Amino acid sequence: MLVIALAKGRLLDKSLELLASADIRFSEDVVTSRKLIFDAQDGKHRIVLVKPADVPTYVEYGAADAGIAGLDVVLESRSDLVQPLALHFGRCKLAVAAPAGVSLSASENPTVRVATKYPHLTMEYFNARGIPVEMIYLAGSIELAPLLGLADRIVDLVESGRTLKENGLEIVEVILESSARLVVNRASYQTKRAEVLKFVRVLNQVSSCASST
Amino acid sequence: MKTFTQIPPGTQILLGRAARRRRALERAICSVFEGWSYEEIVPPIFDYYDVFIKGMGTGLEEQIYRFIDRDGNILALRPEFTSLVAKTVVTRLNKAARPIRLYYSGEVLRFEKPKGGRQREFAQIGVEHFGSKGKSSDIEILLIAAEAFERLGIPDFQMNLGSVDFFGGIVDRISLPEGQIAELKEVLNLKDQSGLETLLGRLQLEQRRKDILRAIPHLTGGRDVIKEARGLVRNDRSIQALDHLEEIYMVFEKLGLARHLTIDLGEVQGFDYYTGILFRAYVPQLGFEVATGGRYDGLPATFGEDLPAVGFSFSLDRLEQIATPKLIVSDSDAADVNGDAFDQALKLRRDGKAVKLCL
Repeated sequence: MLVIALAKGRLLDKSLELLASADIRFSEDVVTSRKLIFDAQDGKHRIVLVKPADVPTYVEYGAADAGIAGLDVVLESRSDLVQPLALHFGRCKLAVAAPAGVSLSASENPTVRVATKYPHLTMEYFNARGIPVEMIYLAGSIELAPLLGLADRIVDLVESGRTLKENGLEIVEVILESSARLVVNRASYQTKRAEVLKFVRVLNQVSSCASST
Repeated sequence: MKTFTQIPPGTQILLGRAARRRRALERAICSVFEGWSYEEIVPPIFDYYDVFIKGMGTGLEEQIYRFIDRDGNILALRPEFTSLVAKTVVTRLNKAARPIRLYYSGEVLRFEKPKGGRQREFAQIGVEHFGSKGKSSDIEILLIAAEAFERLGIPDFQMNLGSVDFFGGIVDRISLPEGQIAELKEVLNLKDQSGLETLLGRLQLEQRRKDILRAIPHLTGGRDVIKEARGLVRNDRSIQALDHLEEIYMVFEKLGLARHLTIDLGEVQGFDYYTGILFRAYVPQLGFEVATGGRYDGLPATFGEDLPAVGFSFSLDRLEQIATPKLIVSDSDAADVNGDAFDQALKLRRDGKAVKLCL
């Protein structure tokens, strides 16, 4: 039995679609059910539904053997994982955004206040450029921060750019091009090698078929 | 300090069954080591910072607990044993007959995120073998690890065996800047097939070399993997690494232990000091490796003597989580003795019996 952690939210539909095309199907409607654990009809796979940012944690500790999560979440978690495949869905950007038309000069503000739920990636990005930042960690509605004067900039995930636009923000720079990733626990990769390798191979096949059509 | 209830993050206290389990595990593993003629070494808990930096390489320096003595020397609490043991062998056992077989058991300290049952202070127990080159000492080390697992009642362990020379031989033949080699190592460590493909698209390399690199993440499995790899490489260093791994695998087949061994030619990560075989051991019940080791022929030379060396260590804190009940000594089988009957207590003790004074 291979336990697979899936991220609730924007990646869930596509993740289930991918599993279905690999013949991993469920008798219940996973999306509408309130349950968090589902066994596949083949009896060989079990999925667990967790918050997107928790997928790397479940997999790193081996509570799940594998998982599907955005690259942004995987990198932010700093978890030590096998990452065999980039999947062809859930494309988005992790970007620095600021109120449209407002420029920041270093001479006025020595430290930039940045609101984000990606503190590690944000710190790495600004540190590498020699820009001092004051990190303001928020759990959601990041776009609000500059509007209320809580922060000068935000670092957040941008899919269509509509949310930014409607809140009067624009992208300053893209930090990362993200898409869904298959991640695997390092111990499971060895102790369940045959199962894991088969799962990776099948997902690779169906995932590249889906992207080429 | 706020109150005495507070503990510094990264520490733990073992009490009762947990403490007994720790010691029982330690004793069981030590008896395996001693059974293979390894002698104990009890090194200091701190030494000069440079000793560890030479051993572990600079990548782990931020994990080392450092402090300064009254003469201004930089000291460090030991983050691992191998450097300490190698330094001792070179400086204090330089006239001893080779090979030298040593084992250690004790705490190490690393400033890292506590994970998988391991705090910042955690227990390592392992062996180091000096003065033998070639497959026999590698096999000895692997067999000791296998016997320890069996002694602990862990029948389904997996040892993941690679060699730094297989990948090293491939890299020797391609001229890429350091940064790109590092990128290559990173995607191979993640077994990231998509990332590897993207990277290969950017690299200026002949098609044949790209094909070799593309195959590396798939080169994991049994003896057939070695055969497959032979079809890919032509350089001597990689071929010798394959010969070496195959010889080890054949011995394990003969001994009926091959099911515990996985050849993994995509294994490229480890301490900088590894020079030959490299292995990690896993058990199905735990998401983290429980043992790691390999050959580090270059390390003794940094302390002044060119001496081949190979070794491994168990992470005791992780083994404790899957320890089998038979190892745990019973809660108490001591004879109850009335508190005043000290003469009776002494007599029982002289007979080697456990006593418990009822006070």
